[in-house]
Amino acid sequence: MAPLLEVRHLSVSFATDTHRINAVRDVSFDIAPGEKLGFVGESGSGKTTTALALMGLVPNPGRVTNGVARMGDLDLLGLSQEDLKAERLRTVSYIPQGAMNSLNPVQRVRDSVLDGMEDHGEQMGRGERRAAVRELMEKAGLPHDAGARYPHELSGGMKQRACIAVAIALKPKLLIADEPTSALDVITQRRVMQTLDRVQRELGSGLVLIGHDMGLMAQFVDRLVVMRQGRIVEAGSTKRVFRSPRAAYTRELIASVPAMPVRRPVEPVRAGEDPGHVEDDDALLSLENASKTYRRGFFGKDVAALKPVSLRFSRSSPRIIAMVGQSGSGKSACGNLMLGFQKPTTGRITFGGRDVAAMKRREKSDFRRQVQAIFQDPYASFNPFYTIDHAFTVPLRRFGIAANRAEAYDIMADALQRVGLDPGATFGSHAHQLSGGQRQRIMVARAVALRPKLIVADEPVSMVDASLRATILENIRQLRDEFGISVFYITHDLATAYRSSDGVIVLRRGRVVEAGLPDEVIRDPKHPYTVQLVESIPSTDPDQAWARVREPRAPGGADADAFNQSVIRSRIPGFSLWPGTVA
Amino acid sequence: MNLSGILKRLVLTGLVFFGAATLNFFLPRLSGGDPIAERLAQLGDSGGTMSAEALSAMIASYNERFGLDLPIWEQYLNYLWDMMRLDFGYSIAYFPTRVWTLIGQALPWTIGLMVTTTLIAFLAGSFLGAFAVWRRNAVTGTLMPLMMVFAAVPFYLVGLLLIFFLGYQLRWFPTGGGFSPLVLPSWDLDFAFNVLYHASLPAASIVLSSIGIWALAMRGMMVTVAGQDYMTFARARGLSDRRMFFSYGIRNAMLPQVTTLGLALGQVVTGAILVEIVFSYPGLGNLLLQAVRGADHFTVYGIVMILVLTICFVTLVLDLVYPLLDPRVRLGAP
Repeated sequence: MAPLLEVRHLSVSFATDTHRINAVRDVSFDIAPGEKLGFVGESGSGKTTTALALMGLVPNPGRVTNGVARMGDLDLLGLSQEDLKAERLRTVSYIPQGAMNSLNPVQRVRDSVLDGMEDHGEQMGRGERRAAVRELMEKAGLPHDAGARYPHELSGGMKQRACIAVAIALKPKLLIADEPTSALDVITQRRVMQTLDRVQRELGSGLVLIGHDMGLMAQFVDRLVVMRQGRIVEAGSTKRVFRSPRAAYTRELIASVPAMPVRRPVEPVRAGEDPGHVEDDDALLSLENASKTYRRGFFGKDVAALKPVSLRFSRSSPRIIAMVGQSGSGKSACGNLMLGFQKPTTGRITFGGRDVAAMKRREKSDFRRQVQAIFQDPYASFNPFYTIDHAFTVPLRRFGIAANRAEAYDIMADALQRVGLDPGATFGSHAHQLSGGQRQRIMVARAVALRPKLIVADEPVSMVDASLRATILENIRQLRDEFGISVFYITHDLATAYRSSDGVIVLRRGRVVEAGLPDEVIRDPKHPYTVQLVESIPSTDPDQAWARVREPRAPGGADADAFNQSVIRSRIPGFSLWPGTVA
Repeated sequence: MNLSGILKRLVLTGLVFFGAATLNFFLPRLSGGDPIAERLAQLGDSGGTMSAEALSAMIASYNERFGLDLPIWEQYLNYLWDMMRLDFGYSIAYFPTRVWTLIGQALPWTIGLMVTTTLIAFLAGSFLGAFAVWRRNAVTGTLMPLMMVFAAVPFYLVGLLLIFFLGYQLRWFPTGGGFSPLVLPSWDLDFAFNVLYHASLPAASIVLSSIGIWALAMRGMMVTVAGQDYMTFARARGLSDRRMFFSYGIRNAMLPQVTTLGLALGQVVTGAILVEIVFSYPGLGNLLLQAVRGADHFTVYGIVMILVLTICFVTLVLDLVYPLLDPRVRLGAP
């Protein structure tokens, strides 16, 4: 069969006054109609630029310097901007990473669907427009009233579906999906990918999937292209690439995925330590029946973000405890309570026996030093106005850890080295001059420099490539052993939770559904929800089928009871947990 | 938008009004001028001689007439009651003209000039600022530095320059006043043109000096919006330039501009004072200047309360309208 798209010798370079970066170098590939082609590689490997070049969207100062992209009679690279504009959406359509803000926030989803159709010359009456919107909402798996909503009224998964609906409005021949699910949790990711799969089959179009998640690629695409530094290092059928990778880099990528069955043995509890309950006089941070309820709107209903939970970190035996669950499960609400950013609706939070909410100024300041936060977004966590040094020196001086500037810099240099950064190259730079991974490591270093007793880390590695993730988590683990720092690790990534924690708590709709040692909870889940979570992780083995999501069963009957139970597996040594004290 | 949110806003507006009214009562009294003495000194200047006895009897009778002989708290309560009914009483300087009559004569001039020019500057400035981001070329490249110059020059200075060159040297435009001294105000086309003709210099000076600020603020917002993901997605869908510029770009970039516009409209009366003085324009600013000079407390009260009312009213309208412009903002949300 003739290929749908034939790309030959595509090169893109970015030229500034001083230097020239060859982002894409001599890339050639084909896509057959109905085929799914994956582009994988670390950030900066040129995979996104390749896709943008096909739509004439390479940002300035980038230029396509060579190549053809034949699609039927068209050469996509040779078209004028005006002609190319006409082909977008109709011939080549783009599905952005839509969970953030890819839709115009002041216009209803319906209008985002229709404006593209209108601008490509579709003449429609009222009834036709309504029918078109309804059909597209249905195809994308959205409720039929979703068209009337604004983007901020949709959940992350629904926003991504809305982007799919917008992109397929004119039945394009080629779909380009750029990391469509990287911001979604595994269950939502699997549902959205299943929808994308169905939509693509119905259209019979080709699909380019760009991403860095090897598991997702193994489960989703027919053929895989591995890119590095602008070049294709390997290409072939997915099965072939995963079974017998030829390039060393491909092997490295596959190996960097935290494989579930491989795990170091649970570290033995230190001698002389009671492996059970944390006693009152050893309590570091305790949640006592703490819950959080938000009120929606002025007359709105109360929404329980976190149902009552009691847990206790020990002062003498530091632990890394992972809290996992989908977005909206109440993980971050729990973290915010621990940090004292919000007051619990019921119950209380104590630090060293003192109620955090009732702390005086000085106690609070000490608490702030002892309990550090690492936030999800390494871009927004830094004040862009200051250099990185500022983020370190202010707390070091303020908490009296460093007596003077020189001492502050010594502590900084030490902390940066611990997370594998070169202090000399990092000092004096602004946040925007660093990569996401560097920024996240700096966040870790900053928290550690203060020698806290507990770090609350909310998705600290969500924005970095898989290989770097493992490194950062390994850093955190070393800190536990070396400085006795406990870590509360909030994530939706079960693989890293499995690999780096001493205990795992699974949260569903604000309720603890399962908890225990990582080996028990993630390798042998007992609660039906945990089973569903674990099954949703895309496996890097292309033969191991990515099963259809088992929808939560209808309430009533034995299944509903099973869902509403909390399964506590064996005790986590050096950590106490009593969930769901109040129904 | 819900009812209790609106109610909350209304109560808040009432409180602001009360607070401003109280300040307004006490502040002029700190200045120490005696309105009656000022008034009588004026009369004394205009001719005739008067015995000291007759003078103090007159002062006493005036004080009684205006309630100034009462204890201060009683004056305050009377004043609050008057303010609640928006009854500003009589002007001391122009007795027996009512303060409302004076304000009624001056207000249309001020609103006509200031509101129109503020809106023109807002629309033109915002559009220019947005356009400079959208089409980067030699023309728009020089536009922004020019806007910065405009933003930096105060409008009375622009006004003086315009008066000197266009009014005095070239004699194209009148140098002051609301209309020609020889024309009688009437509702016809001739008079309307006369008013517009006289308004052109003050209007030009206000527009010229405020357009730059709007343009610069809009440019900043537009740069931010242009980098948003929804703009990238819009381009990837091949939307028309027109739609991307208006429905995606300006529509989102203008949201903070609208807040600023509301505040600017609240300031129109005070903003006008210098312009009105420079152009001897018969508006509220000129009236306020005269009232302050003459220690005409009641007129000052009236004008200041009108200012407070406009600011309260505009903020209230803005609060109520904003959720319609930005669906992410909800009234009464915690």
